[in-house]
Amino acid sequence: MSTTALEQLIDAARLDPDHVFSAPWEARAFAIALKLSESGHFSWDEFRERLIAEVGASDRARARDGTSDHGEYYEHFLSALEHLLQDKGIAH
Amino acid sequence: MSGDHHNTDDSGPAARVKALEAVLVAKGLIDPAAIDKIVDAYETRVGPRNGARVVAKAWTDPVYRKRLLADATAAVAELGYAGPEGGHLVAVENTDRVHNLVVCTLCSCYPWPVLGLPPVWYKSFAYRSRAVSDPRGVLADFGLELEPEVEVRVWDSSAEIRYLVIPQRPKGTGRMSEDALAAIVTRDSMVGVAKIEAPARA
Repeated sequence: MSTTALEQLIDAARLDPDHVFSAPWEARAFAIALKLSESGHFSWDEFRERLIAEVGASDRARARDGTSDHGEYYEHFLSALEHLLQDKGIAH
Repeated sequence: MSGDHHNTDDSGPAARVKALEAVLVAKGLIDPAAIDKIVDAYETRVGPRNGARVVAKAWTDPVYRKRLLADATAAVAELGYAGPEGGHLVAVENTDRVHNLVVCTLCSCYPWPVLGLPPVWYKSFAYRSRAVSDPRGVLADFGLELEPEVEVRVWDSSAEIRYLVIPQRPKGTGRMSEDALAAIVTRDSMVGVAKIEAPARA
């Protein structure tokens, strides 16, 4: 039996070792961000700063509450992308 | 489990991505076919098989191993591996005395050209928050127990520097070809959360 949050995530990855995305929307969010960056709408560094901020806010909340995560990374990724596009006036 | 959780309402991430893609396509900013192509590349071509080839070459070609340790970015580019998030790559080698472990405590920095995109656990709070403070505990979660005398070195990736662990070549593989060796090198071993087992004798 896996007990820690990390062990549960490791088990899930072992069941499905070749998949880096847990759902199709994660793959599309990733590809949209990469494409827009490649096309020069923003730099990947700019995007990464937003992503680090989203992940950091979630980390601080978890450290406060003592909760663990279950692989919500792409939800932070999507929020970072939405906010960046909003601030740049790219997607309305 | 998150896998059982389906977002069917409009505010769920799947619906938000769909809406976002529709707006961007309507504005002519992206082409759905180009998005498909990127998804396909990262699901099939850009992945840890690339890193496995690098490791197998380093195991069988001492001159290449030297170049890899001196300048990993250039050494992997020799095999055709370059691209986004390739940045400045550093190769760190496991030995009988040193075991290397890679994390990105801030987020998810990872050497895409050689390992593809990171697995779920690599990006998790659980891994990122403990890898530096309790590396042996994290390795134990992966089922890896190291001898007490082995020094564990933890490398925190950043936007500037990415790491590739060169795992130890298992004993009894002296006669294996480079191709056969590449087939036994795992992603986890190149992040430093696993060792490589020698394949059972045929």
